[in-house]
Amino acid sequence: MDISSFLDGLSIAVQPINILWIIVGGFLGTIVGMLPGLGPATAVAVLIPVTFGMNPVSAIILMAAIYYGAMYGGSRSSILLNTPGDGSAIAATFDGYPMAKKGQAGEALAISAVASFIGGLIAVVGFIFLAEPLANFALKFGPAEYFLLMLLTLSAIVALSIGKMVKGFLAMMVGLALSTVGIDTQTGVYRFTMDIPHLSEGIDFLIVIIGVYAIGEVLYNFLNIDKQKKEKKKVGKVWFTKEQWKRSKWPILRSGPLGFIIGVLPGAGGSIASMISYTSEKQISKRTEEFGEGAVEGLAAPESSNNAASVGAMIPLLTMGIPGSGTTAVMLGALIMLGLRPGPLLFEQQPETAWALINSMFIGNLALVIINIALVGLLVKILDTPAKVLYPIIVLLAFIGTYTLSYSVIDFFLLLIFGLFGLMMKVMDIPIAPLVLALIVGTDMEQNFRMAVLSSNGSLGVFFSSGVSIGLVILTVLSLCYPLIVKLAKRKKNMSEDEDQVYKSS
Amino acid sequence: MRKLAFVSLLLLTFIITGCSGNASGTQEYPKKNIEFVAPASPGGGWDLTARSLEKVLTDEKLVKENINVVNKPGGGGEVGWKYLKSKDAHTLAVNSSLVLTNNLLGQSELTHKQFTPIATLATEWQALAVPADSKFKSATEFMEAIKKDPSKIKIGVGPGLGNDDHLSIVQAASEYDINPSKLNFLVYQGGGDVVTALLGGHVDAVTTSLSEVKDQHLAGKLRILAVSSDKPVEGLEDVPTWKEEGIDLVFPHWRGIMGPPDMTEAEIAYWDKKLSKMVETEQWKKVLENNDWEGFYKNSEETKKFMKEQHDLYQRLVQESGLVK
Repeated sequence: MDISSFLDGLSIAVQPINILWIIVGGFLGTIVGMLPGLGPATAVAVLIPVTFGMNPVSAIILMAAIYYGAMYGGSRSSILLNTPGDGSAIAATFDGYPMAKKGQAGEALAISAVASFIGGLIAVVGFIFLAEPLANFALKFGPAEYFLLMLLTLSAIVALSIGKMVKGFLAMMVGLALSTVGIDTQTGVYRFTMDIPHLSEGIDFLIVIIGVYAIGEVLYNFLNIDKQKKEKKKVGKVWFTKEQWKRSKWPILRSGPLGFIIGVLPGAGGSIASMISYTSEKQISKRTEEFGEGAVEGLAAPESSNNAASVGAMIPLLTMGIPGSGTTAVMLGALIMLGLRPGPLLFEQQPETAWALINSMFIGNLALVIINIALVGLLVKILDTPAKVLYPIIVLLAFIGTYTLSYSVIDFFLLLIFGLFGLMMKVMDIPIAPLVLALIVGTDMEQNFRMAVLSSNGSLGVFFSSGVSIGLVILTVLSLCYPLIVKLAKRKKNMSEDEDQVYKSS
Repeated sequence: MRKLAFVSLLLLTFIITGCSGNASGTQEYPKKNIEFVAPASPGGGWDLTARSLEKVLTDEKLVKENINVVNKPGGGGEVGWKYLKSKDAHTLAVNSSLVLTNNLLGQSELTHKQFTPIATLATEWQALAVPADSKFKSATEFMEAIKKDPSKIKIGVGPGLGNDDHLSIVQAASEYDINPSKLNFLVYQGGGDVVTALLGGHVDAVTTSLSEVKDQHLAGKLRILAVSSDKPVEGLEDVPTWKEEGIDLVFPHWRGIMGPPDMTEAEIAYWDKKLSKMVETEQWKKVLENNDWEGFYKNSEETKKFMKEQHDLYQRLVQESGLVK
């Protein structure tokens, strides 16, 4: 690291105008992150005409602030309404929503903001010291390694649905089937598009998220709207307890670096990072049975992870000019328009730009944790809103969000279909997350599998040919077998205890 | 709530009076606001082309009417161009070679003949790149190795077969007497993924737009073996063109703009006048520079002829590639 460029960058980042952009971007990001369907990619894209007149450095600072701001915001609606704003906020529904239901909405919102903050800080520090080696590490990921990473994610999902393993598996298979819709990249063949050109690019997973979560939730509540009691719901305090902090501390610190590294891999992103963090925390926790019922560490871990991933995603963008996610792809396009070309020459030719951005992420995360904690008191009021007002608003937002994805009314039909689908799944008690996550990773997983096999001329040995791939295989096997091992160990312990008792009593 | 209703009513009134104000009278074309269709999502190449056009035409006061950019993504341009077909001469759409290949690959009923050619604006060039430590030092060495055993050499391409990245190599192979359908392609999701795959050594070579690999070449992270331009590219004088390598190939990756069917001669002449002026402005030259594009202006008449030539070329390449039987 070059100290003088670092300080140059810092002095640019703390210019009042740039601090203003950081706050504007962070706030905007929080808002779009909260609304179902309106993600950071849309927000950045909509702002492109605005950035035309801006100084390129301010533009990249603004766009980055929107990006990680959305990571803070995404979990707000997961916690309060059980409807994630984006793929990376899905894991926050697992324990965030149960916490809100238990009357701890305020605590949940506060801990998730703090977890995001710490995850973000860890990642920015990681960025400063590890950008170059990590970019090189990411290059080691070929098709085989990507396939195995996604397989690990899916195995984590299945391992999650203990108790309803069959239903979870079923939902995952439906998600994988849905992911095959669209042009097949390897051959150019149109699959299941029914001659609708709009479907040639596949089914956007965001529509499915909005459909099954938001519309599904509204329909489900509509079924029993008359049964709901009129009592005022408890929202809890606006700050978490010492006990909650103690439980979350280590999961937050562990998930930050994990999310950061997964974020660096082009294409992997926040959804996979938060999912893997959640499952690994659940598996090593002593309170496994509380996960899914409102365990505070089950919310804190993925929140730390997905924000760290959004910082990590900046590494391939800045060091190689390669966008690692949908949002960074839009950012790259906008930056090129402004005459700023991220890539291997950026740190040599314009180090102050690169370092200004990195420093702005420090300031940005600080601003965001303040914004988000200040908003807690306001946001919990959503829970007091009467259902007859709240649900129509959610439906309205769902339709608007869907329209902004590709400006097409065909998506409305998809939205309604998936809404009904979500209702059906809720009624039949089928977990939703496996479906959505399988859809998110499905396409890449399939294409990478085929590319791996193609490049090895049909040999499956390619999946065991590198250190990274063998490591991923081991992790996958472990994540599937861990619950069984724990069970076996417990049974053994119980048995030996029984024997002890037999021995004592005799 | 009542206040909100009042404000919306007021807004509505403004909009209605605003529209009627523009539409009244019998002035010449353009009679109302102009719409540029970007047949892709915001942030993509087509979107940026449309927005740059809108900005330069407005800033340089070449077009007085409001210009709106609308995004109609889907089907590799299909959705946006179908929309264009249903509109009048106040709507134009950005295009590229996909307007030809979609039909040739059997993915679309639309053909370029159903639209009015307006202009060709800019081009990028195609590059063939290998890892920095590759044993291939020149494009001819590379082609010679493929000739010996095409299955041995993995070529990365994205985001789909039949695009310019793919077809430029098909043409090079065909010029070198290699059967292009024997080439071994790995298809990645996008240009960025292709470059990552090359840097990580997961493919032997990639074919992509020059701008995707230019900086990496300058930084010594990979080596460009050949570019598809007619003369060496500024700033990359060490990289030979295909022609210099003895392979007769110039392959532009062009972008243009077209209108709905049946535009009148006066309407076409309007755009010839405006766009020929626009491409001379400093601001447009800056846009070209920032995007690593090269000026490639052809007026409506030239574009019509160019499209015909390109159509025949692509038809041959698509057949040779083995994508269509």
